Amino acid sequence: MSGWILVGLLAAALAVAPVVLPPFLLYLLALILVTGLLATSLNLVLGYGGLYQFHHGVFYGIGAYVAAVAITRLDWPAWLAFAAGPVAAAAAGLVIGFFCVRLSRLYFGMLQLSLGSFVWIVALRWYPVTGGDNGIHGIPVPAALQSLPAAYALVAVVVAGCLAALWAVVRSPFGLTLQAIRDNPQRSEVMGVDVRAHQLAAMVLAAFFAGVAGVLYVALERSVFPNMLFWVLSLEILVMCLLGGWFTFSGPLVGAAVVVGLRTLVGRYTEYWTLVLGVLLILLIFFLPEGIMGHLQQRWGAHRTVAPRPAPAGDARG
Amino acid sequence: MDAAALLGQLVVGLSRAMILFIVSAGLTLVLGVLRVPNVFHGSLYMLGAFVAWTVAEAAGFHPAAFWLALAAGPVATALVGLAVERVLLSRLYHREHLMLILFTFGVMLILNDLVKLLWGPTYRSLVPPPSLQGAVTVLGVALPKFNLVLLAAGPLVAWGLWLFAHRTRAGKVARAAATDRDMVAVLGTDVSRVFGMAFALGCLLAGLGGALVAPTTSITLGMDHSLLIDSFLIVIVGGLGNLWGALVGSLLFGVTQSVGLLVWPQFAVAFPYAVTAAVLLIRPTGLLRSAW
Amino acid sequence: MAARRWWVLLAVGALAAASVAGAGAAPAVRFDRNIKVGVVDTYSGPPAVFGNDALNGFRLALQEINRDGIHGARIEFVTRDERFSPEIGLSMARELVLQERVDLLVGTINSATALAISAFAREQRVPFIVWISKSEDITGARGHRYVFSTTENTAMAGKALAEAVARRGFTRFWLAAEDYEYGHRVTNSFWRFMKRAKPEATLVGQTWWRTGEPDLVPYLTQILQARPQAVFFGTGGAGMANVLRTMQVIGFAQRVPSAIHTAIDVTVLRPLGAAAPEGVFGTTDYLYYYPDTPANRKFVQDFQAAYGSPPGFPAFHGYITAYFIAEAYRKARSLDRDRFVEALEGLRIQTPVGEVEMRACDHQAVLPMIFGVTRRDPGFPHLVAGDPVVLPGRDVMPTCDDVRRAREQAR
Repeated sequence: MSGWILVGLLAAALAVAPVVLPPFLLYLLALILVTGLLATSLNLVLGYGGLYQFHHGVFYGIGAYVAAVAITRLDWPAWLAFAAGPVAAAAAGLVIGFFCVRLSRLYFGMLQLSLGSFVWIVALRWYPVTGGDNGIHGIPVPAALQSLPAAYALVAVVVAGCLAALWAVVRSPFGLTLQAIRDNPQRSEVMGVDVRAHQLAAMVLAAFFAGVAGVLYVALERSVFPNMLFWVLSLEILVMCLLGGWFTFSGPLVGAAVVVGLRTLVGRYTEYWTLVLGVLLILLIFFLPEGIMGHLQQRWGAHRTVAPRPAPAGDARG
Repeated sequence: MDAAALLGQLVVGLSRAMILFIVSAGLTLVLGVLRVPNVFHGSLYMLGAFVAWTVAEAAGFHPAAFWLALAAGPVATALVGLAVERVLLSRLYHREHLMLILFTFGVMLILNDLVKLLWGPTYRSLVPPPSLQGAVTVLGVALPKFNLVLLAAGPLVAWGLWLFAHRTRAGKVARAAATDRDMVAVLGTDVSRVFGMAFALGCLLAGLGGALVAPTTSITLGMDHSLLIDSFLIVIVGGLGNLWGALVGSLLFGVTQSVGLLVWPQFAVAFPYAVTAAVLLIRPTGLLRSAW
Repeated sequence: MAARRWWVLLAVGALAAASVAGAGAAPAVRFDRNIKVGVVDTYSGPPAVFGNDALNGFRLALQEINRDGIHGARIEFVTRDERFSPEIGLSMARELVLQERVDLLVGTINSATALAISAFAREQRVPFIVWISKSEDITGARGHRYVFSTTENTAMAGKALAEAVARRGFTRFWLAAEDYEYGHRVTNSFWRFMKRAKPEATLVGQTWWRTGEPDLVPYLTQILQARPQAVFFGTGGAGMANVLRTMQVIGFAQRVPSAIHTAIDVTVLRPLGAAAPEGVFGTTDYLYYYPDTPANRKFVQDFQAAYGSPPGFPAFHGYITAYFIAEAYRKARSLDRDRFVEALEGLRIQTPVGEVEMRACDHQAVLPMIFGVTRRDPGFPHLVAGDPVVLPGRDVMPTCDDVRRAREQAR
């Protein structure tokens, strides 16, 4: 089981990181883990569920904003606020999902994009609560979390736990049904599977974990911004999944690491980061559509964790 | 509120609605025929405005060159769109749908930075010729003369699109392809060429919207942002791929905002979004039947 | 810049050297390394015009300062582009502090970014000097030991404009503003001070539009129909250009007197040329052509020689920020961050507009405000401020008590 050895090595690396890494790299690693969890949660519905989740960032933003607002405006204890974030995100996933799962793929995505834009507009306009375009800064977190190594430790432990949970979900009967629905919704329907209920459940789960990522962002940055809810971020998360390979479990994590790392590195030398990202994205689409991890798995013949190549475009009207 | 004020706000709201219609018609056309939500549609709108400005500047802002500048915007964006479609996008039609959307996102990222590279961050103004400067009084409201051009342009574009869809062979094939592309292909029509044409036409409309808006506003980077969201919402409210739906959605957007100012000026900004939300909760697939 | 004439440098250097010589009989201190400033600002998108202008002013001053250095050290700087986005700005600031190990942070045009970085600076105990963004919260309600401002803020702007407009006898007002941090702050401040200056002033109504709204005609026509006696606009940058252009086209300013902070500013009026309306009341804290003093003339000449155009208000802020930093390190005689903060508190420096003090109680530079009315002038390619009046900084600043109360309330 070379896979488990790899996981063990990674866990060991995460554990020693605070000792060996300079502060900025430790912060960057924490940010990669948070973003990686976000991308992995998206992949539950995107790669495994085959849903056009175009506006996943909304749930990330809701998790973060609810925690931030609960702490700064309602004076909730931080831990309670941190728990409220993912719950609120899951609730939002239920509401938005309720309207979306009734629709076909592209309509699903477009409706989600517009419903998500409302949430963004609310965050941007509701000054007394959300701080408008300012966002909320200097959020007081518990004293135990105030140092960078402590915040990192929280992020690392929670992300590891969430990834394990997501892995279990993917491998569970529920996860396997979800993949069967993705590959052939009609047949699943005929076999008596409640397609919409499964898709909705997956959306709520994915929203919950995105909310966890949002709360971790608050613990790490102590700030929230309206751009967390903007559609451009959502598409960037999609790019991370594509880059890493959305038919693998670890792909989105790798994609997040590459994008966050590159953004930091390229941002230092040029203001044209988006140009770099755009070119990278198009090269990927043409030359590495299965993503980094997908490519490696094919190359080294690792056992297939997930399903075959994507459905052809003809199905897109679904 | 008196009737004159209401009528006045309707008129000024209409000219805004016409720009929204021209841009979202292009978006919905591409959506209907190619089934691609073109994320770089907004960038083309911005590009159209910048190209118009550059042509006008090259002519020393001579009044006679003004119309040439307005024409140059859409021509340039149509060419950019055609090139992108022929060279890259057309190779992706057999691929997963999501790839097409992400591809347009990639082009958006590139185009926005290219505009920044070529034109820099300063904002520009395109001054209309003297005959179109100043304002006329319509129903007691001072309306910029140039907005009359916008009021005329909207119906003209709608008429032109109707002619294209119903009177030209390419338009008929495009409509058929929007309904069932496999059937059209089986019948021996080169679907790919029709796709290219429809895509270029959609891009032309984005550039036309940008060129027409250029004389009324500051031409800046980022001018595409709010417009792109608005046109997406309009297209959804109207029904994906439905040109008349785009018209209805645009009118709804432009007019609710300007009339909303009379009712509740402090929150007029939110009116179009509230209307969109209401429509979507009642009819998630839009007001008019979607094209597919 | 290489284009600058060397004798100007020499003259300035001599002046600076003289002031150093005059300042210290204390034993010589030598810094063992250079001072490193991290600049986070917007260098792409429309607001980049302001960011670049400020950076040019900063560079010009550093050339003058570094000729003689500060206790043997030079001031170096690195820049990061925040792209008008607070989360990018915050991560850039984090990188500059943790990775580049800068001694202090400087920036930015974006009020939201400034507030985000300010919270981070407080946490990290790193000095942060704000040089363009004008939200009064920066040194007001959310001010702290490590944040300073070398720009006028919305409280000063609102008060100056409100008092100037109040003298003209209007009582029925409309407030119209862009829906973002600066728009809210400057509008609230204008109205607060208007009510204080003229308790009988009434509000006919208010309008908010979102940033980047392309078509303002519906908004302006609606205001005309409501017939207020005067309108205050809370907008800036490219949004302001749109307001002024639309006003000119529909003849708004001739029908209703209008007041806008920075409406007389060169960075606003220059790109508009003839498309700007006459008769708009405006305020700013710096004009390159007024007051026409030798110090200002020299700064404008140097700036023009280096960058080809006269300085706008951001360039002035960048310029004085560099001098505040240099003088504070000279006075602190140490690279320690807390010693620097203490040295900067209450520091007075000579600037192109005269002496400017960094007020100790709130870390806000005491800057004068200029009030004027836009008008054409054949001697200029853009509109200028007619009948300019200078309002001294201490008259338009909130009092130290005001600031203390605001901070207590925020807590």
